Amino acid sequence: MKTLLSAVAAAAVAGLMSTAAYAESLVLYTSQPNEDAQATVDAFKAANPGVEVEWVREGTTKIMAKLMAEIEAGNPVADVLLIADTVTMQRLKEGGHLLPYKSPEAAGYDAALYDADGAYYSTKMITTGIVYNTSAEMKPEGWQDLAKPEAKGLVTMPSPLTSGAALIHAETLATIPGLGWDYYKALAENGATAAGGNGGVLKAVATGEKAYGMLVDFMAIREKAKGAPVEFVFPAEGVSAVTEPVGILKTAKNVDAAKKFVDFLISEEGQKVAVKMGYIPARNGVALPEGYPARETIKVLPVDAAAAVKNSETDLKTFSGIFGTN
Amino acid sequence: MTRADEIARSRRSSAPAEADAEGGAGFLEPPRRFLSRARRFGPLRFFFGGGEAAESLPPQTASAKLPDALTRTLRGVELPAMPHVTEDGFPKAKVPRGGRAGRWFTFRSLRRGSVSGEPAWLLPFVLGAVLLLSVLPLARLAGAGLSGLVGGEAARLIFEPATFAALRNTLVTATGGMVVSLLLGSLFAFAVALTDIRGKLTLSFAFMLPMMIPPQVTALAWVEMSGPASPLLKTLGLAPPLGSPQPLYSLSGIALLLGVQHAPLVFLALKAGLAASPRDGIEAARLAGAGPLRVFRDIVLPLGLPGLIAGGAIAFVSGIGNFGIPAILGIPAGIETLPTLIFSRLASFGAATFGEIALISTLIAAISAGGLLVQQRALSGRDYRLIGHTGARAAFALGRLRIAVEALLWAVLALVLVAPLLALVASSLVPAYGVPLNLKTMSLSAYGEILFRQSITLTALKNSLFLASAAALGLLAVTVPAAYLLTRRSGALANLIAILIEIPYALPGIVLAVAFILTFAAPLPLIGLSLYGTIWIILAAYFSSFLAVSLKPVMSAFLQMDPSLEEAARLAGAGFSRRMRDVLLPLIAPAAGASVILVFLIAANELTVSALLWSAGTQTLGVAIFNLDDSGSSDLASALSVLVVVLVIALMAALEFFAKYLPEGVLPWRH
Repeated sequence: MKTLLSAVAAAAVAGLMSTAAYAESLVLYTSQPNEDAQATVDAFKAANPGVEVEWVREGTTKIMAKLMAEIEAGNPVADVLLIADTVTMQRLKEGGHLLPYKSPEAAGYDAALYDADGAYYSTKMITTGIVYNTSAEMKPEGWQDLAKPEAKGLVTMPSPLTSGAALIHAETLATIPGLGWDYYKALAENGATAAGGNGGVLKAVATGEKAYGMLVDFMAIREKAKGAPVEFVFPAEGVSAVTEPVGILKTAKNVDAAKKFVDFLISEEGQKVAVKMGYIPARNGVALPEGYPARETIKVLPVDAAAAVKNSETDLKTFSGIFGTN
Repeated sequence: MTRADEIARSRRSSAPAEADAEGGAGFLEPPRRFLSRARRFGPLRFFFGGGEAAESLPPQTASAKLPDALTRTLRGVELPAMPHVTEDGFPKAKVPRGGRAGRWFTFRSLRRGSVSGEPAWLLPFVLGAVLLLSVLPLARLAGAGLSGLVGGEAARLIFEPATFAALRNTLVTATGGMVVSLLLGSLFAFAVALTDIRGKLTLSFAFMLPMMIPPQVTALAWVEMSGPASPLLKTLGLAPPLGSPQPLYSLSGIALLLGVQHAPLVFLALKAGLAASPRDGIEAARLAGAGPLRVFRDIVLPLGLPGLIAGGAIAFVSGIGNFGIPAILGIPAGIETLPTLIFSRLASFGAATFGEIALISTLIAAISAGGLLVQQRALSGRDYRLIGHTGARAAFALGRLRIAVEALLWAVLALVLVAPLLALVASSLVPAYGVPLNLKTMSLSAYGEILFRQSITLTALKNSLFLASAAALGLLAVTVPAAYLLTRRSGALANLIAILIEIPYALPGIVLAVAFILTFAAPLPLIGLSLYGTIWIILAAYFSSFLAVSLKPVMSAFLQMDPSLEEAARLAGAGFSRRMRDVLLPLIAPAAGASVILVFLIAANELTVSALLWSAGTQTLGVAIFNLDDSGSSDLASALSVLVVVLVIALMAALEFFAKYLPEGVLPWRH
């Protein structure tokens, strides 16, 4: 390898070499869509000049796998995680991978929205509801509508194997009387598909390959504003929610920059950036973005976090068993 | 008259192919069995024909050597004339003489093995590089695969329904893809090689494009072209109704696209064989009253068959290892093939992941090896002694049918190439999904976002350019000495080196990527650093993967060189480095340039290897496109894809521009 590298060195010297200098730049692993991740990073950099940020986007489940593979190889690259749900964060905390940090900004939040030890902080509220194509026959109002014959073969949803929000969503609905895993079985029998992340669901519904989908709110509402032929409903039974927490890894090489990043996200300024992107802010006293109903009209279903931490593996297997995805 | 002129002239002329009764299997023979390449760029070996001298099979080496016609079929080269010997009875070495360079020495001195004048460091250096790049990772993979089998973990995995399903899907799509490739590829090959249609160069160039465009881009373009929301169909008012499934998200969709992607392989393999068909034999048959169908059946088809089978086998193996197409088309439909199964196993990392992916890639490697063996058998059993001219005159004048055939070919190209690329451009210009494209909705915002806002694109562009240049230039440091060594030596060791260089190239990229993960996941000895998660692991995998790509043009240049040039310099007392600098390098420079551009072209568009090896800050262009599409930003993915396609066409045009300086058979679309 040495000989080869020395051969390569010539090319490197020629000024082609520009791999990330991890020493100075903060590395963020996130599950936000690319445009949002970029906008978040840009806003942070504007507020903290001189800090460079490298970021990677994947579905929460995948980004965790990547991180775990790196930890296994003894080379975790990420400093900060900004992922879909607190359940995953809680599991990381219990595994001893997170750095406790008491942010001064936490004062503006309900205690339920951050970890008491400061291992992670919720940054927004992302609910999962129903998106449908404007040319669809039926206008769904509740979850049960998706299991009706009118929706046969026309429903799609993100897979928990990719998306953190989708896993929480399934775990939430599974505990609701009248829905439960039976509801998912009914969906599968009705020809519903589950694959990939939320992006794929948006694409399938907006392009009319499918008429209905389970989708995170901001994507549908934002895309509708851009002119896509979609509508979003908060179903009558209620919606599941994830809170996109941010946390610092114990192995972080740039702890100072990481703390600044956490502070920025949960500060008033950072929350306004999220609102501008179309997310429901987590911080008290920040108004919801355009296109949403009033905060109090959105019925958020509770999720048993402790059970979710414990049962994630089983729930994934149950889900895969129903939909035959692996 | 300069040497280049001489070669150019001999290339243009067409003279009888000589029967060369000289024995001594050239060192290239065994590797020739491995020449088939088993992955998306499999076809690229056809770039490197390296002119073989036209010679038919020496009787005493019948088993060890492929007949020339087939060699040409394998390599896709039009052969130059070879005035056989000089007045004094020495074979001339003025023209390409694939695998015969060693013979020159054999002729002069019966010594085998080391040739005087070769520096002592050369062999250890080349051997060391080959051991590092080929033997070490593959041994590590084989070890992990075997230990998995012994550990009982394999049994559990092998009998999982998911593995069975993926295996079945892989075989079904690869077989279907092979059929489509055979149909498309042979249509074009027969038309271009044997008829008098116009615009052959343009047709060939355009038909090669699908092979050069990254498979995930092809898949995206086709998805944009079909389905209910296709901007193209919506604009034309032809879009299917709501709820129509995207027809491409299916096994047959994957097979169709694999077929389109790999059709150029069949085209190249077949065209080479057909180009060698004996014109006067065909003419004699026609004069004797045989109709065109009879001529086709009795002369053209038997000659084309080895190429057809070889091309089909390569298309099959490439389909087995393809990741980009099943990833884009299969994942949304819940269809897994073995390569995407590896990807998703790695993406849901668990304790047993490394063992599992090692096993699945061993399975892929085994199937690929089977496909390659079929190809070998198909080719090795045939021996045609061709006599007579293989002129450039078309064998079949189409007459009034010509317009119809030309229209058919262009219509096929319009359907498989132009329309998807237009759809890709269209979808990069609409602001959101499902919006029809018109002057009001058209916007360049996706390009703005990609070029000026998304740091991932810049990162990816920088990484891809760095990786591609470093691999292309860095490999020359290995391949120039290796090519020199292999052309100056013969014997078991040289054969072994050639084979070892060929293997990583013949295996699907995904197998190689897994081998590199296994090799470099643990911290390196001595340094204590892990390459996993850095850009260096991708570069190392590229070095291994593209070693053969880089070697072949350089090798053909060495083979075409008259050894007496170096000999004279050596007798005049010039040392090795002096000879390299003043005699050899100037002569192989054009081929080295082609090698650099080719490796660059492939590496810049690579996805399979980097999809498994990327990390923060080391995304490649292929990964960026895949990731953008995955996050639901398909307008951004399309915009970036459009830029990549432009890059590919520009690089191919650059190669075309240099064509006149290149050795015989480096560019597949020219003959």
